[in-house]
Amino acid sequence: MQPPRALWVTFPLGRPLGNPGDAAFQLDVIAAALDLLNRSEGPVLEDYPHDAPPIEAQSAVTCPVSFAKDTGDNGSWKTRLGREFSQLKPWYELSYRRRGGRTLVGISDQPPEQNIRVLAEQLDDGVLPTDITWLKRAVEDIKAYYTEAMTAQPGDYDSDALQAQFWQETSFGAAVIALYHQFQNSNDDQLKLIARILAPRGAVGAATGPEGEKTQ
Amino acid sequence: MVRLTDLPDYERDHLLSKNMPPLGPPVWTTPAKPVNQMRFALVTTAGLHYRDDPAFDFADATFRPIDGVEGPDNLVMSHSSVNFDKTGFAEDVNIVFPLSRFRELVATDVVGSLADVHYSFMGAGLPPGAYERSAAQVAGLLKQDKVDAVFLTPV
Repeated sequence: MQPPRALWVTFPLGRPLGNPGDAAFQLDVIAAALDLLNRSEGPVLEDYPHDAPPIEAQSAVTCPVSFAKDTGDNGSWKTRLGREFSQLKPWYELSYRRRGGRTLVGISDQPPEQNIRVLAEQLDDGVLPTDITWLKRAVEDIKAYYTEAMTAQPGDYDSDALQAQFWQETSFGAAVIALYHQFQNSNDDQLKLIARILAPRGAVGAATGPEGEKTQ
Repeated sequence: MVRLTDLPDYERDHLLSKNMPPLGPPVWTTPAKPVNQMRFALVTTAGLHYRDDPAFDFADATFRPIDGVEGPDNLVMSHSSVNFDKTGFAEDVNIVFPLSRFRELVATDVVGSLADVHYSFMGAGLPPGAYERSAAQVAGLLKQDKVDAVFLTPV
């Protein structure tokens, strides 16, 4: 790309300024970037010398909800997802209050409780969703609802552990992976591409439930 | 940007396959004034917008304006990639869009001022050339806002 001035950082994708809540570290990254304005010639590509401070091991994911590992044999999708969503509801509401009303839920035109019910019914009926825009936004909204509920308590959360918990332990993670396989197994190349915007391939490969085993 | 060695194989291969030639000859402008007199705008590819604005499509070269009036906590993210974790942004907007940090830098006279309007693109699904028209449009808007420098955060 060759931008005139670029500061390369080692932080995970989606976190170009480092860790949430660490204003001092964020300001240091910004100061290093602003310092590039003092260079007399370029283009400049400079390495930021620090990694983001590590998450304390003792404060890594303690989820407020004990997910029964989804084995696929404990009822219909409607029952499994409905039960799980109800369990998370008070934690999502606590998260909403703690974050002063801030939430990433709201990309979809419909509320997540409605979207998860429709998705569950389609999975139970073996119907592949046809409104892909609705599907993508519904999945993103429900995923945001889950992860905000799972991080309702103040503290630092290990991003990888949180993602692993979402994809490998929740029924909704299993449902999205089931949808991934339905699109992936389609004969239509366009539909195969839809799978890639639903779940990361790493999560699909790591899933050990009945839906994940289909990847073997 | 994370280290390539820290990414899973499929994601590393995906990013390396996007190894594009430079968009054109190097661009270089020497600032005409010190940082503490410069006017800054934030531009991100994180797919941010206010809740009532249209969400980004799966592949979308348009942009959304983000003013400094409505609080950054009202921002949501409709980036189409599933290959990064959004919980950090849910916790703190500033790790993607450091408007609060830049306001602090203005208050402490480290930078001169902030633009009236900042901008967000959604950086997935399209090659860089697809953004040329909207990028030129944003450049014009930034000039109109008397912006001296842009702080870009890629996502």
